[in-house]
Amino acid sequence: MNLPDFDYYIPASLQDACALLAEKGPGAKVLAGGTDLLNKMKHELMAPEVLISLKKLDQLTSIDYVSGKGVVIGSMATHNAISNSSLLQEKYLSVCEAAQHMANNQVRNVGTIGGNIVNAVPSADLPPIFIALGALLTLVSTNGERVMPLEEFFTGPGKTHLAPDELLTGIVIPDNSFTGSTYIKFGLRRSGALAVVGVAVAVEMDRNICKDARIALGAVAPVPMRAKKAEAMMIGNAITDELLEQVGVCASTECNPISDIRGSEEYRRDMVRVFTKRALRKAINNGHV
Amino acid sequence: MSDNYTQIGKSVPRIDAFEKVTGQAKYTADIKFSNMLVGKLLLSPHAHARIISIDTSEAEKLPGVKAVITHKDVPSKRYGLSPARWDENIFCIDKVRYIGDKVAAVAAIDEETVYKALKLIKVDYEVLPAVFDAFEAMKEGAPQIFEEYPGNINTEIHQNFGDLDQAFKDAYYVRTDRYDGQRTYQCPLEPHATIAYWEGSKVTVYSSIQSVHYLQYYLSQVLDLKMGDVRVLKTYIGGGFGGKMDPSGLDFGAVILAKKTGRPVKMWFDREDMFFNNRGRHPQFMNITTGVTKEGKILGVHADFVMDGGAYTGLGIASAYYAGALLTILYDFENYKFDMLRVVTNLPGCGAQRGHGQPQPRYAFESHLDNIAEHLGIDPLEMRIINARKPGTLTVQGFRVDSYGLKEAMEKAREISGWRDKKGKLPQGRGIGMGNGGFVSGAGYAIYRTDLPHSVATIKVTDDGTSAILYTGAVEIGQGSDTVLCQMAAEAMGYRYEDMKIVAADTDLAAHDLGAYASRQTLMSGAAVKQAGEDVNKKILDTAAEIMGVSNEELDCRDGIVFVKSNPEITKTFAEVARTYFVKNGQLIGRGSYKPPKLGGVHKGSAVGTSPAYSAATQVAEVVIDEETGEIEVIEAWDVHDCGYVINPALLHGQVHGAFYMGMGEAIWEEVLFDKNGKLMNGNLAEYRLPTALDMPPVASELVDTVDPNAPWGVKEVGEGATTPTMGCISNAVYDAIGVRVKSLPFTYEKIWRAIKEKK
Ligand SMILES: Cc1cc2nc3c(=O)[nH]c(=O)nc-3n(C[C@H](O)[C@H](O)[C@H](O)COP(=O)(O)OP(=O)(O)OC[C@H]3O[C@@H](n4cnc5c(N)ncnc54)[C@H](O)[C@@H]3O)c2cc1C
Repeated sequence: MNLPDFDYYIPASLQDACALLAEKGPGAKVLAGGTDLLNKMKHELMAPEVLISLKKLDQLTSIDYVSGKGVVIGSMATHNAISNSSLLQEKYLSVCEAAQHMANNQVRNVGTIGGNIVNAVPSADLPPIFIALGALLTLVSTNGERVMPLEEFFTGPGKTHLAPDELLTGIVIPDNSFTGSTYIKFGLRRSGALAVVGVAVAVEMDRNICKDARIALGAVAPVPMRAKKAEAMMIGNAITDELLEQVGVCASTECNPISDIRGSEEYRRDMVRVFTKRALRKAINNGHV
Repeated sequence: MSDNYTQIGKSVPRIDAFEKVTGQAKYTADIKFSNMLVGKLLLSPHAHARIISIDTSEAEKLPGVKAVITHKDVPSKRYGLSPARWDENIFCIDKVRYIGDKVAAVAAIDEETVYKALKLIKVDYEVLPAVFDAFEAMKEGAPQIFEEYPGNINTEIHQNFGDLDQAFKDAYYVRTDRYDGQRTYQCPLEPHATIAYWEGSKVTVYSSIQSVHYLQYYLSQVLDLKMGDVRVLKTYIGGGFGGKMDPSGLDFGAVILAKKTGRPVKMWFDREDMFFNNRGRHPQFMNITTGVTKEGKILGVHADFVMDGGAYTGLGIASAYYAGALLTILYDFENYKFDMLRVVTNLPGCGAQRGHGQPQPRYAFESHLDNIAEHLGIDPLEMRIINARKPGTLTVQGFRVDSYGLKEAMEKAREISGWRDKKGKLPQGRGIGMGNGGFVSGAGYAIYRTDLPHSVATIKVTDDGTSAILYTGAVEIGQGSDTVLCQMAAEAMGYRYEDMKIVAADTDLAAHDLGAYASRQTLMSGAAVKQAGEDVNKKILDTAAEIMGVSNEELDCRDGIVFVKSNPEITKTFAEVARTYFVKNGQLIGRGSYKPPKLGGVHKGSAVGTSPAYSAATQVAEVVIDEETGEIEVIEAWDVHDCGYVINPALLHGQVHGAFYMGMGEAIWEEVLFDKNGKLMNGNLAEYRLPTALDMPPVASELVDTVDPNAPWGVKEVGEGATTPTMGCISNAVYDAIGVRVKSLPFTYEKIWRAIKEKK
């Protein structure tokens, strides 16, 4: 395996990066950690003529709380930076856990949240938890900035609403009243396995009554998806094991998985049932975990 | 007895530990020669196609390309293991037979140029129908992959010992079960690499290979060179497990490209190439029938198997024989029938993977025995104890088994695993299972017909006696043979391991040896080393006797000190005696040579399965199954091994852990997958799921003591035997946990989930 030829730029500012991206057109690709992109290029699935590295844009690696806005994570924050962030550990341990349980340490050291989102693989581990928490994306181009809910960003496997001249600069988890959230990745070994099913949930509980619930599923549809009917079954109701089982069953009918080498459609559906139930129970009982 | 030894029976540090942990060790792909070119193979994109033409002209014109070779540039002689099944060419001539088959090779000044050149080679193919399933391949009208294998049957074995029909008539219970194995790949950490360069008519080949001797032999045979003109050596090797036994396209390719260009050429596989080269485990489809008495005594067994060999044979013929040959070792029964069809398909060729043909049949047989025990209402461990082979017996095919501690191994495993408190008594979803296994300690016959010794060793004591060098052809591939053989040499000499050096696996500089396969080196290379050490020891004692004015019978030498047995205060150092020997007689050299005695019966295929000594092993595993998801966790495992006298306990237990790990991977996770067009789907370490450290349970590794009379110090094998019980053991644990049998490997979470669902 060998990388094809390409031109390589390392812009020193966000403006330069946007300008370059606009100038070079659709033949250009943004390079973050490269764990997806370079792999695809080596396998000849993609042959961009230009790579624009974001590695000099230090401002994109920060993870901060901005009051009135929420937690802002730069698109170049690596998985390990996310899982080690004391801010996130305190507010949303569930996000740290999701980052901690993907790939392997080497990949987590270089792979970024921006890459994980823009790459738009149905089984990607970070989108579900961020969708459950209602995250917003900040997209920047020479024409300015726009904000889009992560949930609406994906249009199909490998496809998003990102314009060819646009950069993802940050992900915001807006302030919210969720009392608990979690992401359960079900892979076919303890570590280094892609998700067969990924279930993220966020819940707002008032004692035993569910005031709000969001269920986001990964790896069971062309894009990460919400199980809205299942969510509706929860809201306003007292939580019992029977109800959670029914919610799981509902989510399993809502999703739209395919059969592939990691699992059949039938198996994936049933795993959605099991892990929706388990994730809800975990978030209800234990908070943001 | 072992108390008398000073160098063996001890966990001395590995002789290569420092180099490996500091990263100083150079593996073949790390080595550079000045002016060296790099080379790569062009592989077939079709599963079955006729080659109409190959046009290399564009590739040759690319600046930086130094040579492009196809079948036209290389000898057309076929190679393989048994002459009737020499079916592989260096490059395909008329047809390609699987996606990944070898078509051409390029050498160029750098990697980038090589890849560009490969794209410029134009091959015109006429695509042919292909077949990817052994049973489909045998059907009428299936695509014929080789003219010489009608019906795509490449090997047919029918062996019949005793009177099976009568045994089944006499039996209280006769049962048939069918189990299916899968295709797995060894996945050694180090990808194969080869470097070749020529000096005049002589070629030097660095290869990541398990036997320098066989590679030297193959290269000389296929390329029509004098063996003496071919030097094969290796540096460090990062694992083989059978996948680096057959010569690969890299070995032939590098030698020929180096000849053509007059420059050193380095070639290597990337991870996916390794899956194409394969030589991993054959999938076997196993019908097994056993007749037993009411008490559970086995009267007779019929093993009726089919194996998918992929496109070429290589070592696969031996795999086919091994599948049945070793089923008779563990349990003593007098009637046995073994039928095997090895079928060719349009997939990468299979070969010898740790345990050779045996682990899948063991999985089938050990699962089958548990079914029988359950039917009879007998504890499966107790039923195996009734049947366990006794030492000093002959198998039904005529293999002599001298030391044999299977019964003791089972008894010990029963104790340390808490079997009696657990079997059948664990809560739903949790289970315990056992399986037995074992292996040959070296094959009784060489891979090709030869009367050469199997192992030769030479020891040279350096001039002043402060170090000694062991020369051996044994191949250190990570298993620790360099360390163990140096311990053995030091023990036999009366010397110190710390003062040993080794020159190994170099057909010019070291001594002859058949190499690292069939778990042979501890016993066979060890036998030659022991002799060589004793030869040195004798010369030391004779010389010391002269210096000290006593008779040599009065002297002994240990740990580098010669002493008078009756008065150990009177000493000379080994070094000063060695120096005196050198001054008087010239270089102090010891020699040893080993060839197994004639072994085995007279039936067709009787050579496979013969060995001077057989190991035995019992494994017990405890599993927890998530009954909603089918996820299986092996939470603890116990292995009790009869591997004769142990030279280095740390290395031995390392082998047991590694073997269990590998067997567990094959039991639960690993399977090479292809799509319906024969395209490899998971030739990478993300989707070919080897277990990770987090998946590995604690393993208790224990021993039973036996000392084999046919082996140096009574040693036996451990490397392969310890992987043979694992799949059966986990199969039985899964059954114990969920009460339903998964009848094919691997026991994926989804298969377990489905089995539980279907039971409900
Ligand atoms: C061994 C291995 C294991 C893996 N395991 C997992 C796993 O368990 N779970 C999982 O979800 N993923 C896994 N991955 C996939 C991958 O590591 C992640 O998706 C990672 O987050 C990608 O980030 P990156 O920075 O490397 O992206 P890159 O490869 O640099 O980029 C990916 C894509 O996103 C675009 N891009 C990146 N950043 C931006 C930006 N700021 N603006 C616009 N476009 C951008 C690139 O142009 C490219 O198209 C694994 C990968 C490997 C190699």
